[in-house]
Amino acid sequence: MTFALPIALALAALALPIIVFYILKLRLRRVPVSTNLFWKQIFDEKPPRSLWKNFRHLLSLLLQLLMLLLLILSIADPYFPWQLMQARKLVIVIDHSASMRANDIEPSRFEAARQTAREIIAGMRFRDEVAIVLAGQHPEVAIGMTSHNPTLRRTIDSLSVSDLPTELKPAIELGKQLIGDHAHGQVIVLTDGCVEKLENPIETPLRIESTETISDKAKVVFQVFGSEASNVGITQFQVRRSLIDPIGYEALAAVTNASATSIRCRLELTLDDVPIDVLPLDLKPGETWSRSIEKTSLNGGRLMATLTQIREEIPTSSSLPSGGLTNDTPSANSRSANNPNALTTDDSAWAILPPRHKQKVLIVTRGNLFLQKVFEANPLVEVEVRKELPNEYPVDSIVVLHSHVPAELPPGNLLVIDPDGPCNDWEIGPTLDQAIVTDQDKNSPLMTHIRLDNVIMPQAKQLQFKTAIHVLASTVTGDPIYAELKRTNGKCLVLSVNLEQSDLAFRTAFPIMVTNSLGWFAGETGELQESLATGGMSNVELTSQPSEPSKVLMIRSPSGIQTPFQAIVTSKPITTTSPPISRTALAAGSPSQPERDTALAAGSDAKPSVAEEPAASADGSLVAGKVGPLNEIGIWNVVSADGESASATNTVPSKDVAPPEPLYEIAVNLSNARESDLRPSKEFQASNTNQPLVSSWLGRPVWFYLIFIACALTTTEWFLYQRRLIT
Amino acid sequence: MLFPPDFLTRLEYLSIISKRVFRGSLLAQRRTMQMGSGIEFSDHREYTAGDDLRYLDWNIYARHGDLLLKRFQEEQDLHVYLMLDCSRSMAFGNPVKFDLARHLTAALAYIALADLDRIAIVAFANGILTEFPVTRGKARILPIMKFLENTSTAGEATDLGRAVQGLLHRGSRTGLAVVISDLFDEHGFQRGLDQLRYRRFDTHVIQLHDPKEADPALLGDVELVDVETDSVRKVTVTEKSIRTYKRYFSEHQTAVREYCRGYSLGCTQSPSTVPFDDLIMRMMRAAGAKG
Repeated sequence: MTFALPIALALAALALPIIVFYILKLRLRRVPVSTNLFWKQIFDEKPPRSLWKNFRHLLSLLLQLLMLLLLILSIADPYFPWQLMQARKLVIVIDHSASMRANDIEPSRFEAARQTAREIIAGMRFRDEVAIVLAGQHPEVAIGMTSHNPTLRRTIDSLSVSDLPTELKPAIELGKQLIGDHAHGQVIVLTDGCVEKLENPIETPLRIESTETISDKAKVVFQVFGSEASNVGITQFQVRRSLIDPIGYEALAAVTNASATSIRCRLELTLDDVPIDVLPLDLKPGETWSRSIEKTSLNGGRLMATLTQIREEIPTSSSLPSGGLTNDTPSANSRSANNPNALTTDDSAWAILPPRHKQKVLIVTRGNLFLQKVFEANPLVEVEVRKELPNEYPVDSIVVLHSHVPAELPPGNLLVIDPDGPCNDWEIGPTLDQAIVTDQDKNSPLMTHIRLDNVIMPQAKQLQFKTAIHVLASTVTGDPIYAELKRTNGKCLVLSVNLEQSDLAFRTAFPIMVTNSLGWFAGETGELQESLATGGMSNVELTSQPSEPSKVLMIRSPSGIQTPFQAIVTSKPITTTSPPISRTALAAGSPSQPERDTALAAGSDAKPSVAEEPAASADGSLVAGKVGPLNEIGIWNVVSADGESASATNTVPSKDVAPPEPLYEIAVNLSNARESDLRPSKEFQASNTNQPLVSSWLGRPVWFYLIFIACALTTTEWFLYQRRLIT
Repeated sequence: MLFPPDFLTRLEYLSIISKRVFRGSLLAQRRTMQMGSGIEFSDHREYTAGDDLRYLDWNIYARHGDLLLKRFQEEQDLHVYLMLDCSRSMAFGNPVKFDLARHLTAALAYIALADLDRIAIVAFANGILTEFPVTRGKARILPIMKFLENTSTAGEATDLGRAVQGLLHRGSRTGLAVVISDLFDEHGFQRGLDQLRYRRFDTHVIQLHDPKEADPALLGDVELVDVETDSVRKVTVTEKSIRTYKRYFSEHQTAVREYCRGYSLGCTQSPSTVPFDDLIMRMMRAAGAKG
């Protein structure tokens, strides 16, 4: 036996005062009595044998010395060499994905897993070390290897379930790395088994190994918390602006019945809490219902889909789940299998519908009804028509110059059609007769859904540009007839076709061309603001006018927790007619990515600066950054908050204070069919361990038993003293 | 102050009660067991030579021819001996037993004096310590009270037998002997009472005890100091030994009671917390029921 703290043995000197005090007995209490007549009878009748009399006095001393010895030994912390040899390294991998919220096990799968983790901690043997890893989308070490039981318990108490999808493989790999080369390493995976089939690295541990394994194949044990629970959830919800209707939008919703019985429910759609549609659904077992729903809205807002009135149809005997519960331990606590919706996280989904903004258009023309009507047909356009060039050009309007060109082009957004003369940016060349468009930029959003190669253009002007241009359409001779003019004081499009002599005005391409140009001028790319799945990242880009310098940008989670927005600030000037703070966010991978690149390229000459907590665009600059991973379902906001509140990370604002107006919103949904399917994979059902994960009670350190014996001796000594069997 | 101002008033009340209800039954005005020259016929016995012929019952002789002598019960003053235990064990308790014992002694003395009897007080412990000589007349109550006030607990262990022996050696006439004591006599209380009984004393025992003697609040390691002998005994008092003590104490009380009943002696047992007049009344009621 070895002592961890041998110096504590010096405390044995405390035995000396005990012996001294025992020898120097304290003076007894004197009690006068009227007669000793009866006491004599008592004590003389059965005189104690001298041996016991002496021994019972000695016994008290021996008990006290023994108690002292036990306490000193426990402080010295003795241990045996074999305890070191048999010490284990355990990694508890706890699945905290969204499916662990299911309540088919009381109170939830996650709580059951957490309770099992507590039991494992409570059953740790002496010198055992335990680490806890959270398995979500990415593995996370909740606490590293430690043998300190209270710390582990506090860590387990602080864990919470998330809305993330499950990725067990990286967590198990991380657990193996934590174990390293230890001979008695074990990875205990507490999961509900709601994951896709694991790949090769898990094949070996999926089978519980009965023998010791090599270091890189540490023993992996699965404990599955889950049953064949029924669930129905929204597995897809997106919205985008209509390509045809300027104020229309399309919502894509998908609902999956992940159960063995038919389920009836209702899908309710609301836009900013105003009901817009209710769809009754009758879902067969395993069916996924999907539909695109077309609606109109100018202002946009928060679109929310909710599953309500979920009820199970009366199952037939053949449709009852045959597999039953997968784990003996949780089955005792399992709820009735008739609950058709064991997971509520996927019963709601959100999407952000970008608003449409009215645009002012000033048309300067000597008279072309087709041109005028194509703008007036757009409900988002307010048209003003003039026949002569104005002295001052409005800054908030798109100016359309038809057969009018000033000597110097005004700043702002310009659409020049059939210019009748030169200006500071071009010269007029010879007329192009019977021009045929042979080349057009199909990647440009300005040319989306447009074909000009079959348009008859009897007459067009050849323009010789003085500044850089981006050619959108050109003739067979290479002369541009539709081009974007690169200039610093505003956007400018030039169309050199004579509308009166061409049939362009009669073609469907013309209103599409005008609509594309209006969208390009407006700079709005929000036709699709993607709803993200939990755990996703989002690129956020904001432009704003100067505001209070003390304000900083914060990310506000659906539960109200605010964290600083790590962003890059560029000093890009505002040249669009967008509102003071416009929603120009671009989700990663969205169709508007090229547009964003173009916008960023326009300000590429400015050096980006990284701000820890950027001020809320005090100079009207462009703020861009990544947000995420977004691990909670609901609406995430970018808000402008006070510097004081931003100084503390992960703050929860007081409920008494109204939340700040969001600058940008991101919808995050579960949108994971596997998480909505609460039925464990068959691989996990097969690999679920029946072995006890908790060590026996006798696995405690030696000092524990010493203290236990000392307590027992104390109790015995107290009892004997009270009974006056010892003195 | 041992005797409060209203003490005499309470004694007078007790005296009246005793005359009205228990007349002749308690102390005075009772016939002695002596045969003598009284006027009240008692019984006959056979004539022997030398007997006084005046007491020959001639009517019996005339009818049956038998010579029988008439016997008469002698009427004389009753001598009452109040034996007060003054051992140091009587100073034990709260209130101390000795105070109650002196109150009882004074009360019984007053009742006896009021009935024209003669009384004597004998203070004893391991022998006779002091005594108040035989006296009569109600007027003597004040000296008696003064005597009792001046009497204190002293002496060594109680020895009732030796005290009675001393009383008898003084040639005292037989009469009523009232023993007021706790009877914690290591030699046995029976020895002294036996001697009184042999000398044909009418004996009444008043045994006093303190409640703490009956139920001692002791536990643990203690030194028991005997207040009479100053002997010290180191003991470990346990629940079991307390139970044994109570059993022995109860057996002692029972032994006193059984002894008195067996020899037709008056017996009164009381804790020291009972007022003396209540105890006297209880004694008178018991005597009345017996008579």
